[in-house]
Amino acid sequence: MSALPYYGPSDIDALNTQAVTLLKLFGARGYAREEPSVLQPAALFLDRSGEEIRRRTFTLTDPSGNDLALRPDLTIPIAKRLVESVAALPARISYNGMVFRHESKSDLPVQFFQAGVELFGEADKAKGDVEILSLSVEALRAACLKDFTIRMGDLGLFGALVDALTIPEHWRSRLKRHFWRAGYVETLLDRIGHGDETSRLPQDETEIAALLEAQGDAPRAGRTRGEVIARARAKAAEVLKLDGNVAGAITRLLSISAPIEKALSDIRALLKTAGIALEAELAAVEARVALLKSLGVERVEFNAHFGRSMEYYTGFVFELRSLSGTELAGGGRYDNLLELLGAPKPVTAVGCAIHTERLLATIKGGA
Amino acid sequence: MSKLVIAIPSKGRLKEACGEWFAARDVALEQEAGSRGYRARFAGLPEIEVMLLSASEIASSLLAGDIHLGITGEDLLRESAPQIEGRLAMVMGLGFGFADVVVAVSNAWIDVSTMADLDDICAAYAATHNKRLRVATKYANITRGFFAHNGIADYRIVLSAGATEGAPAAGTAEVIVDITTTGATLRDNGLKILDDGVILKSQATLSASLTAEWNEGARAACEKLFAALGADYRALSAQF
Repeated sequence: MSALPYYGPSDIDALNTQAVTLLKLFGARGYAREEPSVLQPAALFLDRSGEEIRRRTFTLTDPSGNDLALRPDLTIPIAKRLVESVAALPARISYNGMVFRHESKSDLPVQFFQAGVELFGEADKAKGDVEILSLSVEALRAACLKDFTIRMGDLGLFGALVDALTIPEHWRSRLKRHFWRAGYVETLLDRIGHGDETSRLPQDETEIAALLEAQGDAPRAGRTRGEVIARARAKAAEVLKLDGNVAGAITRLLSISAPIEKALSDIRALLKTAGIALEAELAAVEARVALLKSLGVERVEFNAHFGRSMEYYTGFVFELRSLSGTELAGGGRYDNLLELLGAPKPVTAVGCAIHTERLLATIKGGA
Repeated sequence: MSKLVIAIPSKGRLKEACGEWFAARDVALEQEAGSRGYRARFAGLPEIEVMLLSASEIASSLLAGDIHLGITGEDLLRESAPQIEGRLAMVMGLGFGFADVVVAVSNAWIDVSTMADLDDICAAYAATHNKRLRVATKYANITRGFFAHNGIADYRIVLSAGATEGAPAAGTAEVIVDITTTGATLRDNGLKILDDGVILKSQATLSASLTAEWNEGARAACEKLFAALGADYRALSAQF
């Protein structure tokens, strides 16, 4: 495949026909199509998504000196618009358009079409998850893909286990923040267990203040004296003792990757050992499994480590793959995004994006 | 490019040290007459063309395949492209031009001594100020790679053209990534290096472009030069 694709008459016809099918289905389910502009203010992506997204985002400066970006997804511009337009909730929005992402491998296309749906402000989260999941399955079938597999994960399970640990709050957020990094959470847990985070700071507040005064006119660099002292005190007082049962449960949870029934029984077993009850979280997973069964989707895998590489996911995550393992569609819950974009109060959000070119290629290939 | 083209730094301490390094290996560097200081040659090696370029130009010329060999800092090579594998080969460190690329923060941040601390600060800063902590550097690629390796995503790079160490005091950035040799400049500006914040221990490095045109003549000349310099030609030629 070329980094800069060229669509011939039959390619673009087939893509358009498929897009019409998908958008018709989304429309019938109440998802109205919107189309943000291809060029977006660069800050929209760079301020909120961090350097990892920046690395993959094409940015440019227009002749007047404004920093713009070629949209790396449609979710963020659509969510931003929702925040600014103060639309009635719940809101159902669909899209189909080109996105642009720099790839480190030079033969992967840097622009491709995505069709997707976003459900904002549905208070019943389990209901919202199920709605998006079933619509994604329907969409692939409407496009005439006969068979595919589903991989699911849930960041909520991990978060609930971390909350059960008796460790300082900033360690909890550290663990949650690094959930998506393979292997690193285990390293962090190990570090807590062995206490190599020993602080060189004095315990006493006056001594801490004196230590800070001793730094003379070193720049404050964006942090107030109070902020530095508060964190220094918290760090000095930190006694890191890890509840071995819970830590073990987290490590075992992250290693689970199995067909859904087996994964669920493994999770129940490890929660029992650790003495933690997560009935609501497990019930939500089971509701999704029941839905998939009713839709006739047989191959469902649960991968507890699966959190997607986009950092804004907060709960349920899923991926629909071809039988040969190509990722065709992916989505999940991202309840923090709208607040980050300026919403005055939390707005739930769940969505899915389909990589329509891969979907078409998979159908053509008969997979 | 029928000849072998090697580029060496055109000015400053690196240029002098290069001359001394070649001289110590009995390879005499001679200025070419009338070239206004942009060209030179090695005595007795007419098949080699020596170009004098700025250290950063040498890095980009190696990556572009415009020159066969070049001497420049490893920091500049690694900054020029996030992925250098398959594009250039570092043949040998030359034992001069030492500099560390480091992450430094204000001494007033008494609660910050590791990258894990910095990660906490970045996340807290993003949450309280609703904008990202700024890192001033001229090493954007190296910084991105190292911060990603440490799982830090909540920050923004501010490109710095010079005097990076002054950014925290000037209020244009909260953290810096810069080169240091003795640490004195950092100390003078009230900054300290994080315990695990040494990203790269750089030195002047002889490197070969893998994308340059390596014809028979260039290979033969390179083998001859490497024999004189005590560099491993076989290891390099296996990568052409």
